[in-house]
Amino acid sequence: MSVPRGAVHAKWIVGKVIGTKMQKTAKVRVTRLVLDPYLLKFFNKRKTYFAHDPLQQCVVGDIVLLKALPERRSKHVKHELAEIVFKVGNVIDPITGKRCAGTRFLENLSDSENLTEADTTYLSEKLQELQVSSTDK
Amino acid sequence: MPMKGRFPIRRTLQYLSQGDIIFKSSVKVMTVNYNTAGELSEGARKFVFFNIPQIQYKNPWVQIMLFRNMTPSPFLRFYLDSGEQVLVDVEDKTNKEITEHIKKILGKSKETLEKEEKERKKLSHPGTFGPKKYHLRECMCEIEGQVPCPAIVPLPKEMRGKYKTAMKNEA
Repeated sequence: MSVPRGAVHAKWIVGKVIGTKMQKTAKVRVTRLVLDPYLLKFFNKRKTYFAHDPLQQCVVGDIVLLKALPERRSKHVKHELAEIVFKVGNVIDPITGKRCAGTRFLENLSDSENLTEADTTYLSEKLQELQVSSTDK
Repeated sequence: MPMKGRFPIRRTLQYLSQGDIIFKSSVKVMTVNYNTAGELSEGARKFVFFNIPQIQYKNPWVQIMLFRNMTPSPFLRFYLDSGEQVLVDVEDKTNKEITEHIKKILGKSKETLEKEEKERKKLSHPGTFGPKKYHLRECMCEIEGQVPCPAIVPLPKEMRGKYKTAMKNEA
């Protein structure tokens, strides 16, 4: 029975790095939602995977995406680091592309520094129109 | 005696099986980033509270991860088998809109589901008899119009082997 890719069932996994003490290997904790048969509620079940990280660029606390290797690298290492999804301390919001911490942005969102002359005159005209309409009322 | 919890209906098999999002086989991981406070995340919070159990029940092999208060804007991210990532912005959307959107982009269509259902039906023949797990009926006595089960209603004398052999020996 030939397995074309992945000596393991999980091809792509997302997990949190919990240890980097090994050389070029990251210990990653992966949580899956498992249904409790009596309560019928989903709980997180954790499992640790070892991932090959050749550049040793993972820090404890990163959220990483792992890809299954075509064959096992060693007794326990069956995955490799595909990409770091969220770097700890340097989370980038994928929708805006800016750095953020928790629920607030670290960078200034407005692009008022890059406005041209035409833009500023247009905006000031619009503002004047708004002021006129408010005084009418 | 009522069930415990805020919306305990979420913990019933009937509610879980009512989920209609079945992901395509290429979807491997689903990540939900949402915030615990704020109006814009309200739809995402409702989605996580009501719809995630249904989705996980119907797709037991998809890894679902929830991240709270990591970014200001709520979003969903899907990791497909080809390495492709699908980013879905759910800011200011109700949970119904989110489920409709996901179903449209990454869910199996009704035709595919019906085809799979047909394939599964083809494997088993409905006309055979056997254990309830694999067949529809166990014995001929279950069908209306046939001879009822002798365990419940004794067979008439003429059908019993004892009587038949007695008649043969007599003749």
